[in-house]
Amino acid sequence: MSALPETKALDDAPSFSERLSSALFRQEGVLVLIGIVALVVLAFGSENFLTVDNLLNQTRFLAEIGLIALPMTYIIITGGIDLSVGAIVGVSAIMLGVSWQNWGLPLELAIVVCIITGVIAGLVNGLFIVRVGVPPLIMTLATLALYRGLAEGISESRSVRGYPDWFEELGQGSALGLPTQLWVLIIFAILFAVVLARTTFGRSLYAIGNNELGARFSGIPVGRNKLIIYSLSGLMAGIAAWIFVSRTTTTRSDYGSGWELDVIAAVVLGGTSIFGGTGTIIGTMLGIVLIQLLKNGLALTGVTSDATIVIIGSVLILSILINNYAGAIFGALTRRLRPTQRNP
Amino acid sequence: MTKKFLLLALTLTLIVAAFASFPVAAQDRWDGADDLPVNPLDCPMAEGEMAATEEAEGEMMMPEYDGGEPVNAPDLAGQDITLVDVPKLIGVGYFAATTQGMQQAAEELGNVSVTTDGPTEANIDDQIAVIDNYITQGVNGILFAANDPVAIAPVLTRALESGIRVVGYDANSTPDARQWFVNQAAFEGVAKSLVDNMAEQIGVDGSFAIVTSTFTTPNQARWIAEMQAYQEKCYPDMTWLETVEAQEDNILSFNQATTLINKYGPDMDGIFGMTSIATPAAAEAVTQAAVCPLASSEGAAANEDDAVVVVGLATPNAMKPYVETQCVERVVLWNPVDLGYAAVYVMRRTVDGEFLPGATEVDAGRLGMLPVVNNSEVLLGPPFVFTAENINDFDF
Repeated sequence: MSALPETKALDDAPSFSERLSSALFRQEGVLVLIGIVALVVLAFGSENFLTVDNLLNQTRFLAEIGLIALPMTYIIITGGIDLSVGAIVGVSAIMLGVSWQNWGLPLELAIVVCIITGVIAGLVNGLFIVRVGVPPLIMTLATLALYRGLAEGISESRSVRGYPDWFEELGQGSALGLPTQLWVLIIFAILFAVVLARTTFGRSLYAIGNNELGARFSGIPVGRNKLIIYSLSGLMAGIAAWIFVSRTTTTRSDYGSGWELDVIAAVVLGGTSIFGGTGTIIGTMLGIVLIQLLKNGLALTGVTSDATIVIIGSVLILSILINNYAGAIFGALTRRLRPTQRNP
Repeated sequence: MTKKFLLLALTLTLIVAAFASFPVAAQDRWDGADDLPVNPLDCPMAEGEMAATEEAEGEMMMPEYDGGEPVNAPDLAGQDITLVDVPKLIGVGYFAATTQGMQQAAEELGNVSVTTDGPTEANIDDQIAVIDNYITQGVNGILFAANDPVAIAPVLTRALESGIRVVGYDANSTPDARQWFVNQAAFEGVAKSLVDNMAEQIGVDGSFAIVTSTFTTPNQARWIAEMQAYQEKCYPDMTWLETVEAQEDNILSFNQATTLINKYGPDMDGIFGMTSIATPAAAEAVTQAAVCPLASSEGAAANEDDAVVVVGLATPNAMKPYVETQCVERVVLWNPVDLGYAAVYVMRRTVDGEFLPGATEVDAGRLGMLPVVNNSEVLLGPPFVFTAENINDFDF
């Protein structure tokens, strides 16, 4: 039994990077194409759409989801999932408010508490997934409810308000002509992209996603790396909570509810396979931008928000169809690729 | 092995902590999630004074206008204006009714066009995005019903800064982020009406529970705070069992109400529904559990002790089935059609320069002159009680 996965891992090894890059350029190409088509169509739909002011303003709305989507890309590449990110945003935001207002901590320290809360929440997910072997879907589904419950309980379901002006700078201010949170997103996106593409740690995530057992036998610290990515997920959710509280100037226990779906949709639209093994940060960022462009552009052309959701859902399906169709042609032209084998 | 045990212990602690925190929340004093003082009205014996007190207060506190002002708003007096209405969410009967009222007002006025657009769930994040898009798109005025009074403030302030008029209705924002707010009913008036109607049916020593949206939703939280103050003042022997959250979700509301019925059994005499979703869901739960109060009704309680009275805020259409089967006797609400109607009139008068800061009343078409209260709010009137006699006169 133990010899089989080992051999398979060796078989896969030579074609691995080649297969990866070709698959990715395909999906990103499709996304850029859809993005350009959307830009042109929407720009004709409304004169207010393709303006610097509007586009910059939109980045305020995508920053939080974008930050959480970075570690989510890592997690999905390993074949995992984190459904609790929205709830972590909720509990982190509440800890920020409660530790500042009820415990009387200085606001600077409360921000640290907020981020640490996120990390701990992510670490707990990771510990159970790695050490106890709870499937990520089940574990994070459970903590989705648990963290949301904690947020409501700790806050006694009250909101915290009255933050000072300097605190609102992160969510509402600008630096060097760009919204502050856009800088945060850009810096983290570059960091996450470089780590994923250029470090042993980053490459190991693909290996885990392609064949976890194989990765383990190749000496990759699978458990440790998974712990790191789930904690990273919590960390980024904590930072997103901070930005979101700063943007909306209040803290509510229902913050972040439903975000997990927005995040996962963007990651998957960005070409990361939900089965693991493929995906890039650039793809994810393109996915995030495309969804926000559609939301905003459609609204500006007078499409109501209920119809907008329908259209975004259709684009999601369409892009995956195009991707698969292009994949079939590509596959015929080069060589047939076997579907990646799942974990037993 | 030890690690597994440690982890299990950790989970248990987390779960216990999560549960332990709930009773604390439930028994704490209801503060309306905004720490404003409560202002209970007089008990039913002094019925006639209610309107008088309100008006007197309006005069007394009169009137340091505390609303905001649009920056460099174009003078559009008498000209056609385009408004956008952003309710808490779309696709529910209540906001369909406010939309209907807005369209009526727009038709009457002839020089106003209103579009309703909003999030599909009562979610502040989505609501902010919707409003933001309309600011970019460029409208003359924004009508809103806030999902969170503070969180919505920055985007409304941005609208004012772009020269867009902003009037709220149904659910307020912080005052300086909008110009006027059309208040459907004074909070203390609604609280009094709800508690009085409940007390008349379950007695002054009855016990009740509440199904609400969330503890921090502006209106519901405020009403509950006022209900507590009023009940303590006028019905000290009533027992407040529990208040549960059910978002604004049909199935969750039904489940919460059913849980309450099963949990308290004969110890619970009544349920308050605080939203137009929670009230019919509670009535459905009572019907299905066969604990309706009236012996003649469908799903009547076998035993009088088991009976559960439902009183709540809801649109008449949602409650008609239950009023017809006599499972529910009274539904408290204002008229949301009038509310939407008044909001458009207030906006029109504001744009025309006929309704300026410091005014004490405003001309709202068929509704007559509406008084200004709380510095920058327009009061629609006392709440309305729907019963079997009148509920069929309404269609919203």
